[in-house]
Amino acid sequence: TAAAPRPWRLFGAMCLLRPPRITQPLEKEEEEIAALMGQIELEKSHYSDHEIRKLEEEEQLRRRKESMYDDDEAPGKTVIMAQDLEDKWEQKLLRFEAAPRITDADKSNNRTSLDRKLDSNLMLLVKQKVGNQELWLLPQVEWQPGETLRSTAERAMAMFLGDHIQAKILGNAPYGIYKYKFPRAIRTEDNVGAKVFFFKAFLQSSDLSQAELKEDYLWVAKDELGDYLKSEYLKKVNRFLLD
Amino acid sequence: DALVSCHRHYKSRPTHGIGRFKYLLPKEAPKKKKDKVQMKEINVGTEHEYGDVNIQMTSYDMCLVEHFAQYVHKLCNRLSIRVNESYAMPTKTNEVLFLEERGSKMQLDAVLTTHQRVVQISGLSSTFAPILLEIIQSSQPEGVHLLVKEHTEADFKSRLKSRPELEELLAQMN
Repeated sequence: TAAAPRPWRLFGAMCLLRPPRITQPLEKEEEEIAALMGQIELEKSHYSDHEIRKLEEEEQLRRRKESMYDDDEAPGKTVIMAQDLEDKWEQKLLRFEAAPRITDADKSNNRTSLDRKLDSNLMLLVKQKVGNQELWLLPQVEWQPGETLRSTAERAMAMFLGDHIQAKILGNAPYGIYKYKFPRAIRTEDNVGAKVFFFKAFLQSSDLSQAELKEDYLWVAKDELGDYLKSEYLKKVNRFLLD
Repeated sequence: DALVSCHRHYKSRPTHGIGRFKYLLPKEAPKKKKDKVQMKEINVGTEHEYGDVNIQMTSYDMCLVEHFAQYVHKLCNRLSIRVNESYAMPTKTNEVLFLEERGSKMQLDAVLTTHQRVVQISGLSSTFAPILLEIIQSSQPEGVHLLVKEHTEADFKSRLKSRPELEELLAQMN
């Protein structure tokens, strides 16, 4: 005899994370300790080759100036001195410009761009129609019998972002589950409610030049999730999000 | 006074050898020089456990890499994952030469050393592996490359030195 069909509808949802590209700034205590440790290491350290060479050359210069040595050693030496090297390196350093940590997208708070918070995880939120409401959700798609839940989640991702996403799902097990019952009006014998299984994927490349299907998508950090998701949904989602 | 207060008992004393215990322990087999340890666990299937997994960390900065390797090791200890080995691969030195072509050709050198540390783990269940990977990934320091792969013979052999005389003799035999 066939098993009775379950009353729950299954959905697979994909939580697409963009991993942070920069480390977070240090706290005040961390900075103080780092400075202190640097000081201790500096005082405990020995001279390196370059510094010894520099000191020796300074000594020689001083001796030559004071006692007017015959410049016997000068023709044998090459002209490059340690001090010159240091000056050259300093100039090179001054010419180097690091990329800004706070990008334009940060300043304008443009939540649809990936460049925003470079030091925290960003998640993809899409506006989807569930029942008769338009809600902000993690992209989800209904499960079809015969496919694994993970492939459902991959399908959801492909549906919203196109096929060529370089996102990596780490394992086959879902990270979280959210189940809800439909309001009594829609509830039938076969259709009590829905269960949404969450999977996590990491964006390998931050190149999303392919067209996006829906216009309303957002890349949102963890603390901003509360602005968009409903409280119950948010609670379940927060359970599997690391910071 | 200092001579008399020595704790060793002389052979004629009745208490001689009072602290001996090594004869009570079970006999250890003598250590062989060749270690041909090849453990392969059940990988895919009903067991859902990974075999030996290597976590390789490479960087130019030795302190960072070592501290990160220690952090990963301690993390696995705390999560009661068995750590088989934690070793370092030999460092590779790269010399960077600049060829400035403005008048006199000058070559400025920079010497970069690449360090690699490997932590070998076994007994990862497939439900826990993605969580561990995510933790390690998110706590990666700047400038450290992370590579997680399964342990193969090639990895094992890469730690051993090649013996040219042995290979020559083998080639001659064949």
